[in-house]
Amino acid sequence: MSELSPAVVAFETLRRRTLRRQRMQSLAGLLIFSALLLLSFQRSQFFSSDIGGDPLGRIGDFLNRMVPDLKGDALFADRRTDGSLAWWFYDLPRWLRLGWQTVEMAVVATVLGAIGALLASFLCARNLMPIPAVRFTVRRTLEAIRTLPDLILALMLVAAFGVGPLAGVITLAISTMGSLGKLFSEVNEEVDPRQLEAMRASGAGYAAMIRYGVVPQVLPNYTSYALIRLEGNLAGAAALGIVGAGGIGIELQRAITYTEFDTYLAILLLIVGMIFLIDIASEAIRHRLIGLGEAR
Amino acid sequence: MTPEIYARALKVAPEALRPGLSRRLTNWGLVALCGLAFVAMCVDLELAPESFLLGLGKLARFIAISMPPSDGGDLPRIVSALAETFAMALAGTVIAALVALPLGILGAKTVVRQPVLHFAFRRSLDWFRGVPALVWALILVSAFGLGPFGGVIALALADIPSLAKLFSEAIENADEKPIDGVRAAGTPPLLALRYGLAPQVIPVMASQVLFFLESNFRNAAVLGIVGAGGIGFELEERIRIFAFDQVAFIVGLYMICVAGLDTVSQWLRQRLA
Amino acid sequence: MLELHGVSKRFGETLAVDKVSFTCQRGELVGIIGRSGAGKSTLLRMINRLTDPTDGRITWDGQDVGHLKGRPLRQWRRRCAMIFQQFNLCPRLDVITNVLVGVVAERPLASSLVKFFPAADRARAILELDALDMAHAALQRAGTLSGGQQQRVAIARAMLQEPDLVLADEPVASLDPVNADVVMDALQKICRERNVPVIVNLHSLEIARRYCTRIVAMSKGAIVFDGPPVALTQAVLDRVYAGRTTPDNATTFSIVEAA
Ligand SMILES: Nc1ncnc2c1ncn2[C@@H]1O[C@H](COP(=O)(O)OP(=O)(O)O)[C@@H](O)[C@H]1O
Ligand SMILES: [Mg+2]
Repeated sequence: MSELSPAVVAFETLRRRTLRRQRMQSLAGLLIFSALLLLSFQRSQFFSSDIGGDPLGRIGDFLNRMVPDLKGDALFADRRTDGSLAWWFYDLPRWLRLGWQTVEMAVVATVLGAIGALLASFLCARNLMPIPAVRFTVRRTLEAIRTLPDLILALMLVAAFGVGPLAGVITLAISTMGSLGKLFSEVNEEVDPRQLEAMRASGAGYAAMIRYGVVPQVLPNYTSYALIRLEGNLAGAAALGIVGAGGIGIELQRAITYTEFDTYLAILLLIVGMIFLIDIASEAIRHRLIGLGEAR
Repeated sequence: MTPEIYARALKVAPEALRPGLSRRLTNWGLVALCGLAFVAMCVDLELAPESFLLGLGKLARFIAISMPPSDGGDLPRIVSALAETFAMALAGTVIAALVALPLGILGAKTVVRQPVLHFAFRRSLDWFRGVPALVWALILVSAFGLGPFGGVIALALADIPSLAKLFSEAIENADEKPIDGVRAAGTPPLLALRYGLAPQVIPVMASQVLFFLESNFRNAAVLGIVGAGGIGFELEERIRIFAFDQVAFIVGLYMICVAGLDTVSQWLRQRLA
Repeated sequence: MLELHGVSKRFGETLAVDKVSFTCQRGELVGIIGRSGAGKSTLLRMINRLTDPTDGRITWDGQDVGHLKGRPLRQWRRRCAMIFQQFNLCPRLDVITNVLVGVVAERPLASSLVKFFPAADRARAILELDALDMAHAALQRAGTLSGGQQQRVAIARAMLQEPDLVLADEPVASLDPVNADVVMDALQKICRERNVPVIVNLHSLEIARRYCTRIVAMSKGAIVFDGPPVALTQAVLDRVYAGRTTPDNATTFSIVEAA
């Protein structure tokens, strides 16, 4: 075997060194991650928490309590008969009313939030707002809103506006504004500048430019985002009742207070069905919008 | 002059000159209907301007109280609750990812090639997509007692259906050609997946998990409200006694932490991409 | 009459337009030629005031238009219609609304915000479209039309502005030869029948020779030739295109420029 040329030797040492460095980096990353994970499980008392001597048994017991004792022969009897469906869903009219209230909260909050987002998005789009200070402030505000969890906000707003849907609607509207504002401003920044320029060249003012140059371009995307957000808001509104901000959540809270686990399951199924229906409706609308949507 | 122009235009393109009355009516009718529905909903929710103004006044007072934020002399407890919150988020997300992985593989069209089975499986996951973590936490806490254990499970339960769906899609969107290439080299099927599929989908999945981790860092704070551990409990307690200076302190600290963790996670996601 | 006196435009280091002076009478169809980057677009944009000149005077019938602001500026823009290479229509709006955008500068804000236009405006829009053989597509979405059709719609919009002057920045650069002729014919007809000056940036010498009553050649921001097409000799062209009669990069660059 002949001597390796110096170039090959240099290359090999370099290669070995980079390989070693990469390996060290991966190892360090893995170590840090495992340490964090262990720490997390330890802190969240995942293994140490006192869940009784027989965790599986307790889970079984819990599931057992959630599932109602329905009786086949009495399934369609009235609600005074144990084991009938009506007995399981014993307060259905009230739940439906609260469910509808939840839908209303989600819709009203989405509309209000989308309007706020619309205004904010024009104020923080690079191509439509020339003053950097305004852009910066609006952006930071929207970011701060997005960091704050809805329910924490709801907790504070319930303290101010009292128990009821008002606090819930304001909460959802604010958080909708935070998330949609960002998305809308991104849509605004992708507007085709040539159309705006053509309008400017024909002497149109700012308002007309927005109306004919921006709105037709962005409206389909706006609507699509707002509908996705509506789905999210419905789920959000269902949880808000737990802190007293209106909607069906209050019944969940009540069911737990009286340890009616089967009632909890009943209401949960109602909520899930409600979310599912709105999902389907909104998806249908969105597909139509993307497909053959007409501009306004 | 104008009538003459009008008459000529009418001859050229009558329907463009006067947009059909019915079309205009339906357009305006729809707008009016939506507006009416909106107002009706507001009325039904009893969203009264007076109570709104009253609440604004109270809110202003709260903000005035909160002005120098203070830790209320209990900083160690706050910090430890914060740590607990973020620990719950990490643990919950990891559990969700571990459970969602097999579900996601089973839900992929390209793995389970039986359309009915695939459809049923996906739809049953869909049902529980969207149930907020707090709703799970409420019942888990009452089943397993106060503490973060219920919170971790609640976060995981809330994420599993969505993550599983995203995983399935990632697998379905993977390019088949590299797998065929590896298989063509005579590699056994499992190894073909290891060298053909895994390099494609693992970065995508990891980035999705990180995304959920970010959102859980935010959401974990609410679990304490129902006693499922973490900072939410401390917050609720202080809001109840109107100690808004401490609330402001905690919320501020929390937001700073979330922003920091977000930066780290975004950096990781960028490295994956 | 349009007059430019020593008009210059500087973008940082680059001198895009260098002390350009020329006048343009009613009924003239002026073709501006030159290599990509010669400053043709910048010149037209300064006349319409999409770009502000760094130096020099622009006047229309003796009145200074180079320093207008606010409403008078918008009115000037309305009077000097501009046509672009990429048509720059709103693809999601129907054709007639795209044309009617030509009058929004003149109409009350509130009514044009709800897309209400008086019947007289609609009638004029239809007739302008008809003059370009596009009335049949009035209710179609602009995005569904071919390039040549879109450019005709853009011309109809320009005509609805009742312009005193028409500027066209490479109006046929993205069109096939047949459509290019249709569009150039339309511009020529406007120039003759309405007796307005038309200034067209062109990268095709052949089209410039065939249609223009006068040709202005630019190089490095300055005018190097100004005269009738017949006077455009090979010697001049060599100076303009620096040895190449067919500026091969003009087409590839033009899309980037228009953006
Ligand atoms: N907005 C701008 N910012 C900076 N430089 C520009 C801008 N617009 C044009 N230029 C420069 O000015 C010169 C002339 O450009 P342009 O008028 O578009 O040339 P032409 O239309 O003849 O191809 C080019 O060098 C171009 O890079
Ligand atoms: Mg150009």
